[in-house]
Amino acid sequence: MNSRALPAILVLAALALIVVAPLVSLIRLGSLPGYAPGDLEFWRSAYIRRVLGFSLWQALLSTLCSVLPAILVARAFALQPGFPARALILRLFALPLVVPAVVAVMGVVSVYGSDGWLPLGRSLYGLGGILLAHVFFNLPLAVRLLLPHWQAIPERHWQLAAQLGMNGWQRFRQLEWPALREGLPGVLLLVFMLCLTSFAVVLTLGGGPRSTTLEVAIYQSLRFDFEPVRAVVLALLQLTLCMLVAGLALRLQRMPEVEIAVDTAPSNFAAKRQPLQLILILGASLFVAMPLISILIDSLNGPWAGVFVNTALWRAVGNSLLIGVSAALVAVTAGWFLLHYSASLAVQGRSTRARLIEMAGSIVYVVPPLVVGTGLFVLLSPHVDVFDWVFALVITVNALMGLPFVMRALGPAMRQNHAAYDHLCQSLALTGWNRFRYLEWPLLRRPLGLASALVAALAMGDLGVIALFGTPDKATLTLLIYQQLGAYLIAEATVTALFLLILCLGLFWALETLIGGRRHA
Amino acid sequence: MKYFFRPGRCALLALLLPLAATAASPTLTVYTYDSFTSDWGPGPQVKRAFESECNCQLELVGLEDGVSMLNRLRLEGSNSRADLLLGIDTNLTAEARATGLFEAHGLESVETELPQAWQDDLFLPYDYGYFAFVYNRERLPNPPASLRQLVEDDDGPTLLLQDPRTSTPGLGLLLWVKKVYGDEAADAWSRLSKRIVTVSKGWSEAYGLFLKNEADMVLSYTTSPAYHMIAEKDKRFAAARFSEGHYQQIEVAGMLRSSQQKALARRFLEFMLDESFQRIIPTTNWMYPAALPASELPPEFSELIDPSPALLFDDDRVAEKRKQWVDEWLEVMSR
Repeated sequence: MNSRALPAILVLAALALIVVAPLVSLIRLGSLPGYAPGDLEFWRSAYIRRVLGFSLWQALLSTLCSVLPAILVARAFALQPGFPARALILRLFALPLVVPAVVAVMGVVSVYGSDGWLPLGRSLYGLGGILLAHVFFNLPLAVRLLLPHWQAIPERHWQLAAQLGMNGWQRFRQLEWPALREGLPGVLLLVFMLCLTSFAVVLTLGGGPRSTTLEVAIYQSLRFDFEPVRAVVLALLQLTLCMLVAGLALRLQRMPEVEIAVDTAPSNFAAKRQPLQLILILGASLFVAMPLISILIDSLNGPWAGVFVNTALWRAVGNSLLIGVSAALVAVTAGWFLLHYSASLAVQGRSTRARLIEMAGSIVYVVPPLVVGTGLFVLLSPHVDVFDWVFALVITVNALMGLPFVMRALGPAMRQNHAAYDHLCQSLALTGWNRFRYLEWPLLRRPLGLASALVAALAMGDLGVIALFGTPDKATLTLLIYQQLGAYLIAEATVTALFLLILCLGLFWALETLIGGRRHA
Repeated sequence: MKYFFRPGRCALLALLLPLAATAASPTLTVYTYDSFTSDWGPGPQVKRAFESECNCQLELVGLEDGVSMLNRLRLEGSNSRADLLLGIDTNLTAEARATGLFEAHGLESVETELPQAWQDDLFLPYDYGYFAFVYNRERLPNPPASLRQLVEDDDGPTLLLQDPRTSTPGLGLLLWVKKVYGDEAADAWSRLSKRIVTVSKGWSEAYGLFLKNEADMVLSYTTSPAYHMIAEKDKRFAAARFSEGHYQQIEVAGMLRSSQQKALARRFLEFMLDESFQRIIPTTNWMYPAALPASELPPEFSELIDPSPALLFDDDRVAEKRKQWVDEWLEVMSR
């Protein structure tokens, strides 16, 4: 077995184990005290059909509303490298990922609610509100993931386009679209999965049980009705659905015909100040910033002193950072080996196998953390004291959820790297550590930085897993926010939420700078 | 060195160490919900008070809510580390009883301040409350005087509710409507649905939206205004008194058959009904303590509405009908 295959196969085996073993352990729960297995006919019922239809419909609409504008906005950012505070804005674009659902809902309501800045009235509650919140979450993410594709276009090509006197549309069609096409299907898939599994946002802004997603039905089965078998069936249904969509998306994914660019600067050739692009950047920044600014304003009058002298806050900061950074490390390492192997298979022309490996890493997000977590609990609790393993479990599940982000942020650059340098490396016998040290680290550290920052943000914003295991003294910042909200302490919760945002911004900056290097975005 | 690390010895050490620890001061483990254990909840004070008299460690493990506690116990069965469960309500006691995991508390006569006599051999109440619609007096000068008026006045106030599939108050309202309307509950929901702004996952989202003035009334507790009066010195908020009465929630605790600390667990249950525990409840859990006379409550509690008569279904009936009633609700609300 070659040296690339082995680590990738180990990662795949670990993935399979972490996903399949909990599902199996839940199905095997046959004889629990006070538990009678429910009817499996359930999943064919009208309720599930309705839930399935709605989940798909809102996810599809949300994806289109997020990613299509994101293409225009990313392009504007790419062509306006001199835009003031560009780096800061792009870093702000990572924040929605960390905002806990309930805080995001409050932010959206502060802006668009009946007492808000842009009141939408009752029409906020329904498909409109769901779309609004999902675009807030996903447009900035899509911009961050799409932007590097412009930076991958070699300088020569921009020069050529300028010499040929191409207009904006021609340049987009001939130059930018081929570069974009490689990453776009993957980004669409990721955003689709994020919207498909959305839960609290959909229920609260959706106006009621009409807006029930499959994720709600899974939660209901496992929590409220306590029918683990049904929860597993529904989780598998969701997984199958996403595999179909992923198969389609990854089939559309093509290697770009542009070559690898080490140092690119579209700036010199496209830096003309185009009013439309400036408006796009401003509009998108405002849209993303407004709910965040409303959190800032709400928290300014908050009880800062009271929140900060609380030792629980600092314990939670430590726990959140530990979980965020560790999950990022695990996810990036696992993603690296998967992508490495998948990319080298693709270069050898074994594209089906390459695609399958990438798909495995891309779709694990839709396995509900509640199901995986409960399954892991069932699996482990007879053998170990689960309380001692809470951090390990939370980090594992969060790394699993973060893996698809790594596949998106790092995948395109990795494939280009292999396409461009595999032959060269073979002739120079540059392998393993040396290849990493001299070739991959300098070229891939920027996407690596982005990937780890995204996973860390995602893990720090996660609530589900830690609340599931329940521990004395192991609260995270997100859990603290929910506890404060549950105890009428809304002002305190807003302050804590702002603090979480600032912390996340700092961590994002640190990871992108330490791993990604000084030159950025 | 090699000899020292022989597996046999390690196992022996591993066995002995916890024993040594328990001999010094036993640990009582209580599964509860995490708002009980949080810094603002009753947990820290309860821990201090109990530990000062029991010569033991009280370990409070915070889980998401009553349902997840019960599910956790089902998964752990008789291997659970918990000695006690504190924080399920009477909507779950029938299911908890059916697991066969609980042991009789053995207390002879239980004196409570509950409006009904307490007769349950497994579970003991520690606090209770009533669901109610909370409103801002300045924004809604004339709140409805009954549930029927709320439902049947098509120009009535707009509402923020919680989902009975995911939230305790949400299930409470479902049962409340069932109690008042019986077989006509579906029609009542259908009539009400036009004025429901949204149905949130949990209490926090709905209450947060209410404070942002997204609707006239929010489903909460009759005791919610006490928080605003005591902690914020704010008297604008009130709960609407409904003439049919208010649906009741009674929170209980019970000890586990598998516990190795049964004497200590019983002692905790007695302590739970003592004054020192009961006094902690009103301003940390914002509920009525189950065994503290009304005269001992903070003065602001006397300004709260009188929720009588208390409405409550038998726990067996809830266990039997809950699923059917939630499905019925889903059917009406999804139209």
